Amino acid sequence: MFFNSLAFAIFLPIVFFLYWFVFNKTKSTQNALLIVASYYFYSCWDWRFLFLLVFSTFLDYFTGIQIEKSNSDRRRKFWFWLSISVNLGFLGIFKYYNFFASSFAEMFTSFGFKVSPFLLNVILPVGISFYTFHGLSYVIDIYYKRIKAEYNFIDYSLFVSYFPLLVAGPIERATHLLPQVKVKREFNFEKAKEGLSQIIWGLFKKVVIADTCAIYANTIFDHYNSMDSLSLILGTIYFAFQIYGDFSGYSDIALGVSKLFGIDLLRNFNYPYFSRDIAEFWRRWHISLSSWFRDYLYIPLGGSKGGLWMKIRNTFIIFIVSGFWHGANWTYLMWGLINAIYFLPLLLLRKNRNNTDEVDIKFSFSSLKTLLNILFTFGLTCFAWIFFRAENIFTAFNYIQRIFEFNIAFQNLKEQISFTTTFVLLYFVLLEWNNRKIECPLNGKFSKVKILVAIVLILLLGEFNIKNNFIYFQF
Amino acid sequence: MAMKNFLLYVFKIFVLTFVLMFIMDKVYSYAFLQSNKRSKISFIYNSPPTNYDVVILGSSRANNHFVTKMFTDKGLKTFNFGMQGSKLFESDLVLKLLLEKKNKIKNVIIDVDVTLKSENKSDGTFLKFLPYFDDSYVIKEHFKELDDFNSFYYIPFYRYLKFDSKIGFREMFFSVLNKKGNEIDNGGYSSLSENSGNLNTEVLDYQPHRNRYYEEIKKICKKNNINLIAIMTPMCEKAIVNDYFKKVNQLYPEIYNYENIVTEDKYFSSCGHMNDMGAKVFTAKILNDFFSYECD
Repeated sequence: MFFNSLAFAIFLPIVFFLYWFVFNKTKSTQNALLIVASYYFYSCWDWRFLFLLVFSTFLDYFTGIQIEKSNSDRRRKFWFWLSISVNLGFLGIFKYYNFFASSFAEMFTSFGFKVSPFLLNVILPVGISFYTFHGLSYVIDIYYKRIKAEYNFIDYSLFVSYFPLLVAGPIERATHLLPQVKVKREFNFEKAKEGLSQIIWGLFKKVVIADTCAIYANTIFDHYNSMDSLSLILGTIYFAFQIYGDFSGYSDIALGVSKLFGIDLLRNFNYPYFSRDIAEFWRRWHISLSSWFRDYLYIPLGGSKGGLWMKIRNTFIIFIVSGFWHGANWTYLMWGLINAIYFLPLLLLRKNRNNTDEVDIKFSFSSLKTLLNILFTFGLTCFAWIFFRAENIFTAFNYIQRIFEFNIAFQNLKEQISFTTTFVLLYFVLLEWNNRKIECPLNGKFSKVKILVAIVLILLLGEFNIKNNFIYFQF
Repeated sequence: MAMKNFLLYVFKIFVLTFVLMFIMDKVYSYAFLQSNKRSKISFIYNSPPTNYDVVILGSSRANNHFVTKMFTDKGLKTFNFGMQGSKLFESDLVLKLLLEKKNKIKNVIIDVDVTLKSENKSDGTFLKFLPYFDDSYVIKEHFKELDDFNSFYYIPFYRYLKFDSKIGFREMFFSVLNKKGNEIDNGGYSSLSENSGNLNTEVLDYQPHRNRYYEEIKKICKKNNINLIAIMTPMCEKAIVNDYFKKVNQLYPEIYNYENIVTEDKYFSSCGHMNDMGAKVFTAKILNDFFSYECD
């Protein structure tokens, strides 16, 4: 059940009605309804994996309590590592086993040993990377005594399986979400109104920006051998907007839907393409994942506090693991590695926290520098996206090689430029720029006009027949 | 109170969206009704009534195989309404639409062979009729059995949303400009280039079935005094036909079998589609067999 499907358009009002009119007496009835709705939502993808979700929920609930109750360090450690290893074990089996098995087999073959690896014929359970990380953060926080274990199974289940964030995030923290599900939600008109605007904005990003750009990006990437250099560059720009519109659009719909139920989720994007350097980009892109890795991997490894080699090591680890989180493919590893290379000079020169203020442009020389920095950062990001989008690592290198052949054919380029898409992208960038200080650009000043324009553009230019689902569902 | 306000707010957004959809539906439909150059359907719909000596119907195997100019050179007023991917569902509708628009037709040549495998509509072609849905009784009646009929008919703008890539904003915009499409060039005939050397084998591993749309075409032609010439057009030598064409003749003996009239690879672009050279050889044969009297 996609957020942009008719099925969801029927599902959401039904749950909304039941939540506020039938099951609104206590927080427990509200939570119970949301769990049933969430399990139904998840089973629409593949009911067979529901057991995995329930098992993962039960495991972390139980181990969380055991960690808290344990008197000895040894017992605490046992329950802690049991939870970590089972969670990561599931992730490893479903997501990474085949990759490692075939990669090792290829490596042995290259040394002259013929190996036929045993490969699993399983599909990746949707959302596994997201709900596993919910559970992990909960258990780690209990182990380090940052939070108390949750004893109410219903409340904890809702934290793990809340349907707006279940299949593609944002990756929530127990410290943020659990306190909200532990109290009865009262209806708030302003919050619900904001949520509705955010849903419309997310839908606009998905069906107008992402799916329109996808048509051109797919054509260029699928036929890169016959494209000239400028078309290939254009292809990376289309993909940059495709993935941003797709993923941040999903996040916006998730946040908006959740607001309808009176629950705030973590913000996942903060206008990342207006970043002035890569460090700022990573503070604005997929914030819930970046901050997860920062808090649960980078800082425990020592962060940027150690010596030079430790800083370098930690930077590479966090970016490569982040790339690998996206999928078992060398392309994602390479994407992570490139971002580490981008980030490292900023860290070593202590410039990684230079741009923490609001980005602003006026008619001045410094603003020209800011604008150039934004464009440069966007260029770097687009370059890294080539690896993220390419079928395999060789395709990515071939794609880049063809860009640097500087073969220019304007006829070829003309075929890849759609004036409607260009116009919509310009409108999109300008609207985001003018509203970059608020979470959803459709709110704030002239909100009625902005909503009207968004609806008109969705109707006029939205791609509803495209079979593309949200890119991040595969992760 | 807060909930009441919210429900009112949602209601307003719904009404606004519905009104926008209604207005846009009317604007789009009006725009499509103004153009006669974008597609074969718009050509039928917006051209003045014509006296045709020959009308060609069918799929790409009609579109790519009957050279209109060779008919017109013989003095026969002809148009090739064959369409890529079209099935008998659409061919039947084209014929009905031509008659609804008061065109007079003496002869219909229709390619009936592989299209007998099912009675389904063609997903890529039927949607081209949708903009004319409200205006044409024939189209509305023909589409009544479609699963989506009620959604197309009663939900304004749904058809344009669903098939945005084919009849969406871009197509509507070009219709407003009446920008010429390439479907109606060369009297509707679309030529194919030579093959690059290796023709893929085409395997006809399905059965022909009696087809209600073909039966309907026969009835319409009889009722309107139109001479119907149903033809099976050539396939390449490599085609594994499994007696398919014989089985077609067992079902419908009146269909002329021209499967083996042109066979050499040099006349084909793909196994089921002749190139321009092959189409000319084939059309000459058809003219000779069916129109030599009229041409004399």
